[in-house]
Amino acid sequence: MATRTIVEAPVVERRKRLDETYIGEWLMTTDHKKIGVMYMLTGFFFFLAGGVEALLIRTQLAVPNGHVLSPEVYNQVFTMHGTTMIFLFVMPTLTGFGNFVVPLMIGARDMAFPRLNAFGYWMVLFAGIFLSSSFLLGQAPNGGWFNYAPLSELTSNCGNAVMCTPALNEDFWLLGILLLGISSIAGSLNFVVTILKMRAPGMTINRMPLFTWMTLITAFLLLFAIPSLTAASVLELLDRHLGAHFYQFAAGGDPLLWQHLFWSFGHPEVYILILPAFGMISEVLPVFSRKPIFGYTFIAWSGVAIGFLSFTVWAHHMFAVGLPPIAQAFFATSTTLIAIPTAVKIFNWIATIALGKVSLKVPMLFACGFIAMFLIGGLDGAALAVVPFDYQVTDTYFVVSHLHYVLFGGTVFGIFAGFYYWFPKMSGKLMNERLGQIQFWLMLIGINLTFFSMHILGLLGMPRRVYTYPDNLGWNEINLLQTVGAFMLGLAIMVFFWNLITSLRSGLPAGDDPWDAYTLEWDTSSPPVHYNFLTIPTVRSRRPFYDMKNPDIADWKTATH
Amino acid sequence: MSTTQGEPITAATEHQLAGRSLGWWGMIFFITSEALIFANLIAAYLYLEIRNMGGHWAFKLPSGDYLDVVFPLINTFILLASSIPARFAGASIARGNRRNMVLGLLGTIVLGSIFLGGQLYEYTNLFASNFTIHYQAFGSAFYTLTGFHGLHVTVGILFLLICLIRALRGDFTAKNHFAVQAGEMYWHFVDFVWIFVVSTVYLLPLLLRP
Repeated sequence: MATRTIVEAPVVERRKRLDETYIGEWLMTTDHKKIGVMYMLTGFFFFLAGGVEALLIRTQLAVPNGHVLSPEVYNQVFTMHGTTMIFLFVMPTLTGFGNFVVPLMIGARDMAFPRLNAFGYWMVLFAGIFLSSSFLLGQAPNGGWFNYAPLSELTSNCGNAVMCTPALNEDFWLLGILLLGISSIAGSLNFVVTILKMRAPGMTINRMPLFTWMTLITAFLLLFAIPSLTAASVLELLDRHLGAHFYQFAAGGDPLLWQHLFWSFGHPEVYILILPAFGMISEVLPVFSRKPIFGYTFIAWSGVAIGFLSFTVWAHHMFAVGLPPIAQAFFATSTTLIAIPTAVKIFNWIATIALGKVSLKVPMLFACGFIAMFLIGGLDGAALAVVPFDYQVTDTYFVVSHLHYVLFGGTVFGIFAGFYYWFPKMSGKLMNERLGQIQFWLMLIGINLTFFSMHILGLLGMPRRVYTYPDNLGWNEINLLQTVGAFMLGLAIMVFFWNLITSLRSGLPAGDDPWDAYTLEWDTSSPPVHYNFLTIPTVRSRRPFYDMKNPDIADWKTATH
Repeated sequence: MSTTQGEPITAATEHQLAGRSLGWWGMIFFITSEALIFANLIAAYLYLEIRNMGGHWAFKLPSGDYLDVVFPLINTFILLASSIPARFAGASIARGNRRNMVLGLLGTIVLGSIFLGGQLYEYTNLFASNFTIHYQAFGSAFYTLTGFHGLHVTVGILFLLICLIRALRGDFTAKNHFAVQAGEMYWHFVDFVWIFVVSTVYLLPLLLRP
């Protein structure tokens, strides 16, 4: 009789490949969701860095004749505050949202070029590290975030630019910006191709969710605007290191050329920073008002109008340099024109909320805060378009107030609205409502304490970027008030990170669709599976997920779009 | 619409993409962005020219002459001609003809290299007359704009060289040859944009001379 012996199957022991380990999986991923999360984490890290820089500035300015920082370090800190917040916080974070949400929203399995997507992310990370590493050498950029040529260039008779500003400060800025530009181009062409070519069947252009619309417009703006910045930076580097004379008046160059090139990037850039936030608000408001968005077509196409107009307004940053009157008239007109499509959006959002069954969850709070704060910032912008008024307040704290109302009150509120809205999808957990409300009210009070009083300070004539001020100009109380407000904002951000960490560890499970939402990203598990959808959905209206949940009253049965 | 388990399916198939491939579109938007860098450099060139203009064209060589036009135009002709073998290479591999693709790539690379050599020859002559990047805004603008284009020709040649090596290894088939297609697109762009550069740098002064 044959005996049967049972042999243990040999266990194949082999080391895991790098991409099978937890860390390696993140390092080597080309999954749009993981890349999106990494973009956001990187953005939030630099948000903290930029925030610390802001608090340093406010501490320095809290009382007259302050000496918290040295004048040299102060210049570096305000330059890096602007640069970090714009290029390393807002842009990567918005790209992160786009990466995570857009393919899910349009029913795709990934971006069109996943590896290019990963390349773009790593480029941002290393450019950010490169830019920030300048602090280690004590040579952080110090020419302001728009790095005007005379500040970074030959001033009188030093022969060439490097001899005049020999330190590496500006080189860090220029090279860092070039790297970030490459990343932005890679990211934006990826968005354009993804959105134009990879939408789910049935999702026509006029059925795309509005966040996708705004991301598409932003991507086009980046494609067309970044080249100006690239060209300007290359010319500056040539001036500094190869002895060219682009920005040197004595040799036939012109420092104004830098301003033209920079702002013909810089003004589309401000819409690059705000349009995705417009998109997020347009997703959040209808869901929490239990209504479809009011005036979808107007919101979408006013975004396109803003995109076009944004290329025609750059010289309103330069009214004080002495352009010919006809040019000033042109740029003042085009700037005022841009208020029209922006106002169209604001009225649409208000009409969306009106008569809806509003539920004031935290994303909705931030969305409402966005409308109010952005409106103030927008009105400031319309005021600054008036040339004589601009002469009066240019380069004062009035301008600082304007840009913080639109970027902090606008974009950052939008980012938080979007983050609280999509966090359950990203993590499968809910954020804590109570902490979110505390953060919202702290931020709303903090922002108005800090930035509203800057209007008055600007009208009283305090220039921006000054190191300190004497105590007999009537600026003392307002400055102190702003410092208090800034620390309130810092506290609010601490509450946010506390909320984020505790919710990740022990938040309530969110389920797939915690907000009873309308768009496709909620029609998958939370967090979404690697391949996003088991089968790619077919879209028949602007609210495809709503249709699936309510087949009897589906939009496509009534609406004509 | 459904995917069979274990059977790989590309995004293009799943989304029932008709027409151009995703890569083609990606290349188009990349080239658009590149073209805008050229647009900005040309704008900077003209801006500086206008700032220095007093009645007529201001950018003159140290000797007081205008730039020589004849040699650059011959060189332009060579560069534009190089688009023909590039198209030939692309069309050949689309029909699966590898030998003709290799010939086309080779022809493009040779013509491109002749153009680059011509540009270097022109630079050497200009250097000899003390016209360098340090010479006023004109020197800076001239060498930056033409040099930036020369850099693009160099990148294009490297691009096509890599395609050539891969072609000789037999990597490309009638269905699978995106690298050649992208290389051809890039090359046409480099040729096309030179028309604008040449018009700005060499032809415009002809119109505006005293």
